[in-house]
Amino acid sequence: MTGTSEGWVGRHFHRKEDHRLITGRGKFLADLARPGALHIVFKRSDHAHATIESIDVSAARAMAGVVAVVTGDDIKDEILPMPQPVVQPALPATYPKHWPLAVGKVKWHGEPVAAVVARDPYIAADAAEAIEVAYDPLPYVGDPESALAEGATIVHEDWPDNVIFQMDFTGGADEESQKAHEAKVQEVFDSADIVLKQRFTCHRCGVAPMETRGALFEWDESDGLTGWLTTQRPHIDRLALSDILEIPAEKVRIIAPRDQGGGFGVKAPFYREPMLIAYMAKKLGRPVRWIETRQEHLMAVSQERDQIHDLEVAAASDGKLLAIRDRGIADCGDGCEGVYWGFLMPFLGAVELPNAYDWPIGDIKVKVAITNKSALSPARAFGEFPTRFAMERAIDMVAKRCGMEPADMRRKNLVATLPHMSITNEYFDSGDFIKVWDNLMAEADLPGFRARQAEARAEGRYLGIGFGLGVELSGVASELFVPMENQPGYGAATVRLDPRGKVLVFEGDAPGGQGHETTVAQAVAQSFGIHPNDVVVTTGDTGTTPFGSGTVGARAGSYFVSAAVQACEFLKDKIGRIMAHDLALADTSPADFEFRDGFVTYQKDTNIKKTFREAVERVIMAPINLPEGESGGLEHTAFFEAEKPMIAFNADVCTVEVDIETGQFKILSWTTSEDVGQIINPQIVEGQMQGAIVQGLSNTMFEEFVYDENGQQLTADFENYKLATAADVPDIKVTHAPTPCPYTPLGSRGIGEGRPSDVPGTLCNAICDALEPFGIEITDLPLRPDSLWRKIQAARGAS
Amino acid sequence: MSTTTITVTINGEVFEETVPVRMLLVDFIRERAALTGTHIGCTYEGVCGACTVQIDGEAVKSCLMVAAQADGHEITTVEGLAQGGELSPLQRAFNEQHALQCGYCTPGILMNMDEFLRENPDPTDEEIRHGLVGNLCRCTGYAHIVDAVRQAAKETR
Repeated sequence: MTGTSEGWVGRHFHRKEDHRLITGRGKFLADLARPGALHIVFKRSDHAHATIESIDVSAARAMAGVVAVVTGDDIKDEILPMPQPVVQPALPATYPKHWPLAVGKVKWHGEPVAAVVARDPYIAADAAEAIEVAYDPLPYVGDPESALAEGATIVHEDWPDNVIFQMDFTGGADEESQKAHEAKVQEVFDSADIVLKQRFTCHRCGVAPMETRGALFEWDESDGLTGWLTTQRPHIDRLALSDILEIPAEKVRIIAPRDQGGGFGVKAPFYREPMLIAYMAKKLGRPVRWIETRQEHLMAVSQERDQIHDLEVAAASDGKLLAIRDRGIADCGDGCEGVYWGFLMPFLGAVELPNAYDWPIGDIKVKVAITNKSALSPARAFGEFPTRFAMERAIDMVAKRCGMEPADMRRKNLVATLPHMSITNEYFDSGDFIKVWDNLMAEADLPGFRARQAEARAEGRYLGIGFGLGVELSGVASELFVPMENQPGYGAATVRLDPRGKVLVFEGDAPGGQGHETTVAQAVAQSFGIHPNDVVVTTGDTGTTPFGSGTVGARAGSYFVSAAVQACEFLKDKIGRIMAHDLALADTSPADFEFRDGFVTYQKDTNIKKTFREAVERVIMAPINLPEGESGGLEHTAFFEAEKPMIAFNADVCTVEVDIETGQFKILSWTTSEDVGQIINPQIVEGQMQGAIVQGLSNTMFEEFVYDENGQQLTADFENYKLATAADVPDIKVTHAPTPCPYTPLGSRGIGEGRPSDVPGTLCNAICDALEPFGIEITDLPLRPDSLWRKIQAARGAS
Repeated sequence: MSTTTITVTINGEVFEETVPVRMLLVDFIRERAALTGTHIGCTYEGVCGACTVQIDGEAVKSCLMVAAQADGHEITTVEGLAQGGELSPLQRAFNEQHALQCGYCTPGILMNMDEFLRENPDPTDEEIRHGLVGNLCRCTGYAHIVDAVRQAAKETR
């Protein structure tokens, strides 16, 4: 490890990003202006499933200020259809053909049907209203199980059925081995003391960021296409746009604004709208700008988690877990979404279903159904929010049958030695789950709580305690990323030293609030022994940054920072070699030079030193009398790939009080125990945990996308799609039980992405613990007081 | 399109502008005054609070008004909070307590809490949390925002 005991890594350091943001001088996409930019507004489908009979754009086209109106028929011979290889996973699935605008029929309420380009956004909106579309409605396919049934209406009419993807995660590749594996698992169930069989369902919800999507594209005959785009993966967008619009890649530049108002996965797909906006900018030869309305956003994206799991668990009476069986179904929507296609989330959710438990064997299968809804788009706790809810609830239910404390059951079955390969072939590289768990239990004081709970119950008050835990990805290794998304997992960073002794870092990923500018500045400052304020970070511009697959899967603290540190070490080596040569020091290696406090110091004689600036300036500005074979200049790009896929681990405990007369509940406390490895910035880590857990609570308790019986989406504003407010949620106590990761140069782990995943299970476990006298088990989300009240009423009526 | 001419003072600077009657105040601030710190996060229903500014010292959601209604009034936006290049105690506290991540909701929260602290110089955490219900934040989970408002209250008293 590189000097983690002192220096900037691990130190409290206030964020570098903040000053511009708290003074109103951030530059978000909507704040960017291009002279003469036109505005595009989409006309979206009123129907969930209907044939388009005709589109009359004459009134819209005739309006003053309208520059162009386009429909699907206008563009289908101009733009290549999706899918295109760069945004198509290497997994066997059926990929729906589509264009940015609907062609022939609409497949969900809100699908783009036409678009207006006008000089003024208000006029563009008026003109979109004036477009007349005649529809012939088709039967609405809204339930995934019905969609998979024999005789169902087929959404993608050229398909044999509505299955976009299905997979056996445990039984091998061919039918014969799958059958044999199923039988083997069945044997375990047949002889087990305890078998739990339960359906768990998770509702459609996600993590809508406060800034909606947006794009600004311009075309120049010599430079090509330049696009500013709200995105987590500009380099992938660039390649995809190049392919779809058949523009040579060197003529496409995508810039993610350095300020993005949250992403959380929602800005990671390659969406339909930017394709059309880029095409229109090229066709018209004028800049075209789109700022998505909140209504469009909630109709089109941010919808995740829509999964059903028929879960079975076999256990011995002493609480040892013996086997798991799962039949998962996901409601994909129409699946027309580059990179993810609505099914990658349920895919990864199934991979992560076993969690940190040491399962001897399992049988896990998932089927993903196309329906007439918006395609699932990713949200933090990617795919695993539903599977972890199911798993963490199931553990409590099994513990109850064993007569054990759920906490004891968890500890007994945690993977005790790492590395470990899960039954779904997820590799757990390092860490100490037991240490994290025991740290949590020390915080939880379970015996003390049980005593208080008994006292309260004697007074007619219902307190409960709930636990949950989660293994999360710390970055996504190429060995998972290449098959999953057809993209590399390495982290990339270019480190360029400035003759004045400053450092410029270039990152191809595109953050949206995670604090990369600060975190990487701390790591680089420590490496060179300078101040973080002397490090400037540029992100997300494909014209200046090295290739990166995007800000996804907690890649920054694992892969990007590691690449930056490797690049620094490479440059330090060069500086050391040249200094040794200049000072005519014999038997000296670059390791004999220490970079600290703004100096490069010869360790064998600390009187021999240069300021960092002098040392750097000499190599960049005076490249004469160099050692043989050396050249001048100090810039290096490193591509970091860890030896093994990496993870982070966490566990949570919460306590609640439930009012049995109303079903209302209050979260009394929430404490976490984390292994994030070596912390780089403690405040940023804590902020990630606070934010992620509250997102998990908001998803669990409030947010829900609702489609009516005709597929009309009823929740396209924040009145109806409610987010948690400050008054709705508790303060979270974040504690640490770290084990440095041996595969990263700093020992750091990537954190934050998966962190909401154990929240619904933890909270529902606490509620069920409080209501244990009524025997209530929560198996469906969302968790709402009214449904809880009905359960309590039913139980009281029955008793 | 019918228009009207209005005179509005924003952060001490006078704007006399002819605007469409239907132009929202938030669009006026962003497009005519070029003050882009005031943000739009919801569908102009006043739920998210990212567009909060102060009109004659009172925190108001600028998406719920048309610009014409601000005629003759004094508006302060987030760009007007720091005086003479000096961050206000509330702004400083937001940095020190890591009360923002993406920063998109932050200007609205600052404008709301700036007024809140004038009205409630010694708030409890619960009062701060209730004072924040008109502002949605998706990143922070709110805890660090509460910490920052508490710090600013303490320093300002």
